[in-house]
Amino acid sequence: MHLTRDEESILAGERGPGMQRAMEILVALGRIYDADSLVPITSAHLSGVSYKTIGEGGIDFLEEISKDARVKVETTLNPAGMDLSRWQEMGVEEAFAKRQLTIIKAYGNMGVTTNCTCTPYFTGNSPKPGESVAWAESSALSYVNSVLGARTNREGGPGALAAAIIGKTPHYGLHLDENRRPTVVIEAEVQDEITDYSLLGHVVGQRLGAAVPYFKGIKPDCNGLKTMAAAMAASGSVAIFHVEGVTPRSLDCDLKGLERVRLDRQDIRKAKESLTTGKDPDLIAVGCPHLSQMEMKALASMLDGKRPRSDSPEVWFCTSRTVRTWCPKETAVLERFGKVVCDTCMIVAPIESRHECTATNSAKACTYLPSLCSQKVVCGSYAELMERVA
Amino acid sequence: MILNGRGISKGTGEGEVLLLERPFSFLGGVDPKTGRLSGTSGAEGSELTDKVFSFPCGKGSTVGSYTILQLRRERRLPAAIINQRAETIVATGAVMAKVPMVDGIDLALLRNGDQALVDGERGTVDLRGVKGHRVVTSLLMHQGRLLVLKRSDKVSTCQGKWAGVSGYIEPGEEPLQTAVKEIEEETTVTGAKLARSAATVTVRQGENIWAIHPFLFESPTDQITIDWEHTEYRWVQPSQMQGLDLVPGFQRVLADLGL
Repeated sequence: MHLTRDEESILAGERGPGMQRAMEILVALGRIYDADSLVPITSAHLSGVSYKTIGEGGIDFLEEISKDARVKVETTLNPAGMDLSRWQEMGVEEAFAKRQLTIIKAYGNMGVTTNCTCTPYFTGNSPKPGESVAWAESSALSYVNSVLGARTNREGGPGALAAAIIGKTPHYGLHLDENRRPTVVIEAEVQDEITDYSLLGHVVGQRLGAAVPYFKGIKPDCNGLKTMAAAMAASGSVAIFHVEGVTPRSLDCDLKGLERVRLDRQDIRKAKESLTTGKDPDLIAVGCPHLSQMEMKALASMLDGKRPRSDSPEVWFCTSRTVRTWCPKETAVLERFGKVVCDTCMIVAPIESRHECTATNSAKACTYLPSLCSQKVVCGSYAELMERVA
Repeated sequence: MILNGRGISKGTGEGEVLLLERPFSFLGGVDPKTGRLSGTSGAEGSELTDKVFSFPCGKGSTVGSYTILQLRRERRLPAAIINQRAETIVATGAVMAKVPMVDGIDLALLRNGDQALVDGERGTVDLRGVKGHRVVTSLLMHQGRLLVLKRSDKVSTCQGKWAGVSGYIEPGEEPLQTAVKEIEEETTVTGAKLARSAATVTVRQGENIWAIHPFLFESPTDQITIDWEHTEYRWVQPSQMQGLDLVPGFQRVLADLGL
């Protein structure tokens, strides 16, 4: 990989140990993936935020690097292990909360926006078409590549942080046109319903792994796209997809000679059954990825005027702090039935200490809840889940 | 013997090689408190602390990078990491925790217990106590048949095994020069014409690593005279090699020469 004189001097440590370490990470990645150079980025999004995942080792590293390194571009954070202000209500222990806040502070010291969400593109960190960026969080980076038309590889937390500090990322993979073209056509026939889009994404990821799918026959809105992206990245490792007439570059795609796969409502139904491993949820959690303003409104109108069921399990509506601020009326309605939880979600919060079976409408959450949170799972649509609540 | 790879994470580290055959996930693969490997690693109970930890590549959760940091916190880090092909999780973890790391090394050349010095700046692995040898192996072909020779008990290595025309490359000599010289010495054939060569094949045998330069020559004759280095010879079809007790790496040499 070619480095400019300026980049060489950073690598040699002339701008301090924090930038040096960041440059070492980028150079290692560039070598591994045969990048020719570093390319400037306009934004970054970081994973590696929850104390549950990064632990004391992660805190050591963040405290070291945040002594002198600062981010050069707009940089946001993935969800943390708790609501940063209402962690007590969530049943999070004080020892965990203290360490979680230490992590957030270290990121804040580096100039990172400490609004913890997996949908930063709804709340201000929204790259423009054609821009290069460095995003971690598989669901968000797929949304950025596919729906926004900006370019990012599947970054890990450390690689994205290093890129944010240097303001550049190695030029390879999905920064190159040839790796963004569709490799398979999916002819899908599903209900226009957000959970069905999630399940469709799940089936595609599971069957095709790391493909670049091109969807025909569906017209998801941004919420459908968000949940599809999340599910495909979780069950496979899809980092970019196209939807005919919906995503920005879809009409330029050449489909000649591509394999075609048909998926219908049967496939969706089977996926839903296979993801369901439990029966009686003691937690209902929606907002994976975090609820948008539109979803908050839709859920509030489903529940408005109703009474909470006496046998309703605990309910979490997971969203970003910004969206909660934008939706005071909806929040008031939803809080009669459960908690509008910010900065976190059912996957990264330590729910396993208090819950055994979680119901959700997200195929991504259904994929990770058993392994990361030791949960049994019930998969249902918003309507089905809200019936258990009101 | 110094093996050349690519530097991934700088610094130098020396220790005993701990070698895994399978891809490795730091998350779940090691207990960061003890440095002890779990069952999924294929080397359950081994400790990676202070070892030159060698495995084909990383796999599994990206949280693995943070497991490496946790090992650092517990002072259980390996002395260095060697991969066949590095990927993001282990590479970023190694850089963050300042563990020297090199990739692009053929792990078939390493043995558990080797003493190795890893230089993450230069991208090299120095196997202490292992000697490297540069040799040529030439196949002579005459009318579709290949010459194989049985090594005598007077040669220093691989006695009694079948081989091509082989010899050490002397300092300052080009491999092709050595090949031509050895053919004349060992078979008396002159005027053999080079048909093909192949990339160097490296094989480990005991405390030796052989870097073999393979050549294929067309021989104008099948009338040869052997010297003290061999006791027998045969002209055989490539398919007839299977039954012979061959020197290490010979099958690779044949395959790489397209035979």
